Amino acid sequence: MSAGNNQVISREGTTEIHAQTAGSKAVKIILISVSVIFLFVMLVMPLITVIYEAFRKGLIPYLEAISDPDTLSALLLTLEATVIAVVINTVFGLFAAWAISKFRFRGKKLLVTLIDLPVTVSPIIAGLIFVLTFGRQSIIYPLLESIDFMVVYAVPGIILATVFVTFPFISREILPVLEAQGTDEEEAAALMGAKGFTIFRRVTLPHIKWALLYGIVLCAARAMGEFGAVSVLSGHLRGKTVTLPLQVEILFGDNKFMPAFAVSSILVVLAVVILIVRSIVEYIGKRRGEK
Amino acid sequence: MYIELKNINKSYGSFKASDNVNFGIEKGRLVALLGPSGSGKTTILRMIAGLEKPDSGEIIIDGKVVNDIPASRRGIGFVFQSYALFRYMTVFDNIAFGLKVRKLNKQVINERVTELVRLIGLEGFEKRYPSQLSGGQRQRVAFARALAPNPQVLLLDEPFAAIDAKVRQELRKWLKDMIHKLGVTGIFVTHDQDEAIEVSDEIIVTNKGRVEQSGTPIDIYRNPATAFTSAFFGVTSELKDYKAFKSFDEVDEYDKAIVRPEFVKITKKTEVQKYKSSAVEGRVETVEFRGNSIEITVSCNGSVFSARRSLDEPAVEVGEIVDVFIYRIFITHGDSVKLLKNNAIREETVVI
Ligand SMILES: Nc1ncnc2c1ncn2[C@@H]1O[C@H](COP(=O)(O)OP(=O)(O)OP(=O)(O)O)[C@@H](O)[C@H]1O
Ligand SMILES: [Mg+2]
Repeated sequence: MSAGNNQVISREGTTEIHAQTAGSKAVKIILISVSVIFLFVMLVMPLITVIYEAFRKGLIPYLEAISDPDTLSALLLTLEATVIAVVINTVFGLFAAWAISKFRFRGKKLLVTLIDLPVTVSPIIAGLIFVLTFGRQSIIYPLLESIDFMVVYAVPGIILATVFVTFPFISREILPVLEAQGTDEEEAAALMGAKGFTIFRRVTLPHIKWALLYGIVLCAARAMGEFGAVSVLSGHLRGKTVTLPLQVEILFGDNKFMPAFAVSSILVVLAVVILIVRSIVEYIGKRRGEK
Repeated sequence: MYIELKNINKSYGSFKASDNVNFGIEKGRLVALLGPSGSGKTTILRMIAGLEKPDSGEIIIDGKVVNDIPASRRGIGFVFQSYALFRYMTVFDNIAFGLKVRKLNKQVINERVTELVRLIGLEGFEKRYPSQLSGGQRQRVAFARALAPNPQVLLLDEPFAAIDAKVRQELRKWLKDMIHKLGVTGIFVTHDQDEAIEVSDEIIVTNKGRVEQSGTPIDIYRNPATAFTSAFFGVTSELKDYKAFKSFDEVDEYDKAIVRPEFVKITKKTEVQKYKSSAVEGRVETVEFRGNSIEITVSCNGSVFSARRSLDEPAVEVGEIVDVFIYRIFITHGDSVKLLKNNAIREETVVI
């Protein structure tokens, strides 16, 4: 994901140094080469390896590997968890960002800190917290059992974990935009007789549209790749509670390298798609911002 | 009274932003809320608009207590200091917003917006975004947008603050004419005395969350009711010892003796003068050209204060010794103020 950024940074860095040591071409060449080699070793090579390994035995085994029922169900579960996480976090993110930026209330600082919690807590620990909260040793377990709603080692657990780890992504993107904008325009709209939802749709949403989209893209990317927390809550029930990253791990553990790489390639493709969407969103957003 | 505030109090935490505010405004008048920064002008405006709730007291508009009516149903036009134009809407959509919210039919909206665009002189700019307008143009769009739904009350928070001096002059006159023409009742906030005097029918002076005085500009200028207004309004200087100046009544207890440039007469030694016997000698400290007069500061009996001379009179120079005669002095004690006239003039009136 950071390929583009790295390149930009290194290029700016070299021009600056180049200006100071005018004429020293060697420095420029060395720095550029180091950056390129670094990028190649860290990013391009692994990606090529994944694709190469996936197709090593030819197209047919590749297609067989990715059309395996377990893999397909893992893909579906990953998409399901991602979509739900994006929807929930969009709604939550909008509400939280709105509340934080537009109102004065007690405990506001605490709320801001809490929103960041999921990125500061290790995903494994997050998973364990949910196991303790909803598992057999929990005091609410009998209640969950009586309504036949299983969280641990079941799909709801996967979704819960995914929502948790992607929690801050959307609100964090919207918040600065809302804060910079202030409340004047909303107040002006209210004074002209507009109601809450009209104000949101006509005045607030146009402001945060691009930040929101960007947040959704980031959230989706993170949701698809989530491994740690999901791994703890999943129980690895093949075809039931296994997501794509878990499926890769399982195949890898069974020494099925080619299928493991084939499944990984799906994730790579999804990542590339998200990267492209991100660039487009960023580009359009920036152009709008400049106007 | 069309708009009335009765015993309004408002605190932010322990800070009193409005302290027992009372005033009334008649229909069709344009009133200035004048006061130093932080004196609670914006707070008053926001409470009238319904954007802020008073802790106690009543706000009455057109005979109805509006305390519990939300901002969206008060039907008040509001021009924000920052204009708060909708950034993602064109000039046309900005002005049309309040009409669309009312679900008026398209034809009516188009006509009304076109009429307003003509009124503010921005024909041909309908499709522009606020970021593509100058400060003065934005100000006028904000004005048109506030007027579009035909409000009976228009509130303006420092409407000219962000505009350069020349355009400001034009806009002030334009605003005054427009409001009187449309017959709406207007309140505008300013901390510029000249603006208040020039634009408003009536001035309400605020200080530390209180209303110090209200009245016509000339009334407040001539008869300041409190120590604050006497010192706030106009260019004022303080006299260290007013008793050193001749022929004033003696007041035993006072805090400050205040003079305005209009109260002081500077006469060259070579000129004839009426009140020679009551004048004292002073030294010219600075001489500055003020466009339509010469402003002079003199030091006299240990005090330094300003005076004016007309451009027609012979010039005075820095360092020159001149005769200084003071017509009147404001004496403040606590919150009260007293006007002392120079007894040398007796019954004669001074035009200020
Ligand atoms: N939301 C708020 N929270 C806390 N204090 C506030 C708030 N709004 C205003 N105040 C305080 O109330 C006082 C009056 O504020 P107000 O905005 O009414 O002043 P003002 O007369 O409009 O000043 P200015 O000319 O600088 O705009 C100020 O001291 C300000 O700090
Ligand atoms: Mg203000």
